[in-house]
Amino acid sequence: MSSAIDIRDVSVTLKDKEILKNINISIEEGHFLGIVGPNGGGKTTLVKIILGLISPTSGSVAVFGSSPEAFLHGNDIFGYLPQHQNIDPNFPASVLDIVLMGRYRKAGFLRWPGKKDREKASECMSMMGVESLRDMQYSQLSGGQQQRVSIARALAGEPRILVLDEPSTGIDVVGQEDFYHLLKGLQKKMNLTILMVSHDIGTVTTYVDEISCLNIHLYYHGNPLGALSEKVMTSLYGKNVDLLMHTDICDKCERLRP
Amino acid sequence: MLEALSSPFMQKAFLAGILVSILTGLISVFIVLRKMSFIGAGISHAAFGGIAIGFFTGLNPLVSAIFYSIAVAIGIESTVRKGRISEDVSIGIFYSVSMALGIALVSLSKSYNVDLFGYLFGNILAISWSDILLTVITFIVVSGFIIVFLKELFLSTYNEELAQISGVPVILLNSLFLIALAVSIVISIRIVGIILVSALLVIPGATARLFAKGLRSMLVLSCLTGVISVILGLFISYEYDIAPGACIVLVSAFIFFFSVIVKRKR
Repeated sequence: MSSAIDIRDVSVTLKDKEILKNINISIEEGHFLGIVGPNGGGKTTLVKIILGLISPTSGSVAVFGSSPEAFLHGNDIFGYLPQHQNIDPNFPASVLDIVLMGRYRKAGFLRWPGKKDREKASECMSMMGVESLRDMQYSQLSGGQQQRVSIARALAGEPRILVLDEPSTGIDVVGQEDFYHLLKGLQKKMNLTILMVSHDIGTVTTYVDEISCLNIHLYYHGNPLGALSEKVMTSLYGKNVDLLMHTDICDKCERLRP
Repeated sequence: MLEALSSPFMQKAFLAGILVSILTGLISVFIVLRKMSFIGAGISHAAFGGIAIGFFTGLNPLVSAIFYSIAVAIGIESTVRKGRISEDVSIGIFYSVSMALGIALVSLSKSYNVDLFGYLFGNILAISWSDILLTVITFIVVSGFIIVFLKELFLSTYNEELAQISGVPVILLNSLFLIALAVSIVISIRIVGIILVSALLVIPGATARLFAKGLRSMLVLSCLTGVISVILGLFISYEYDIAPGACIVLVSAFIFFFSVIVKRKR
């Protein structure tokens, strides 16, 4: 398997403040990586570096062997889900309009999405179970439905890597499990590489293949169960943490299913 | 009513007014969705500095105001992007300093009082054919820009980072939008005046948003609100001899509040 993302010695300093220090992470193609850590630990910054939106102060990032900035003008590597609070929940558009946004790039300059783009959009909507909502207003949907529509939008661009920044915000706990379950299905079905940022380490460990624990430094990277050690948790969140463990006997853990 | 249409100055006022209301109607949609109404108000007040430069140097005040407002718009954007001060502070400084500069220059220039009120409150009697020409050119360029980049503007209004990842040159597009905004503001000054221009940038978009099902319908409804406000406002202004800018803004405000009530009852 080839490496989808390679992060080497990446450090970021903003206004004399260290945001990230000496980060090394490598993600195989088709893997599901969870990036967890406290707020202000640099998770979103790391995602923006991977997407090529900001450059690291030092170190390098390679996405399928090329620098991510090179993709900004002409590639379809990433499907991206920005943080929920950065999207206006009352944006005036139908569900179909939102999903078609994912095809803008493929449609090209001065061209609106055509028949082929609509077919692709329909396919992605049914994959995410939102096909029946296609003519509804985006603003009338629940938080969970809006997230599914956003993923359909991201998938419509036929990406190789799906990047999600705190996708579970605004979704209730039961909805969250369905949502992660859906992501897991996409990963397997489309051999999609998934990168998911979350501050919720508990549930995430049951779905991801690997986990990165980030709080300026990278405290842990590897098998999700290994992250739940006392040492890693204390360096991430401080001393007062109650842990609920999903161990190998847990029947909820999709990670362990064939 | 028809009497109003027979006088040449009213014909010019209607022509310029309709073009301006379509232009601000288009811009207004993005102002409302991008939460930029304060920058609109800031640039329109700053335009006073540019108009005073025209008074002082003898240039066409609208032309000097266009260049000055573009400079202010880009100035606000770039100080914010460099991240040292927040947007509201930047706008607050730029517009008050520009107004101060305007007042200082007006006191220094000989033409004090001549047309000042016309620029502050709008003066349709003063619309010349060269103003109309300037309005037509601006209308073609700005509406052309919005139509050509509609998809990109739509995406970057939804989320800037997403637009960037999709290959939209977001910084360039934002700068072009600010230039379009600055030019549209200056062009509208003849009709509604500096003090009331910001209403045309906010109310049509806010009204359209109440009913719009998508971006395109929002653009149409916003322009429609603007055009109706201008036509009715100018008639009322002519009929009762009230400042046209005030009439136009009051009509648009009436349409907005009426729409809010209709929307609630639904």
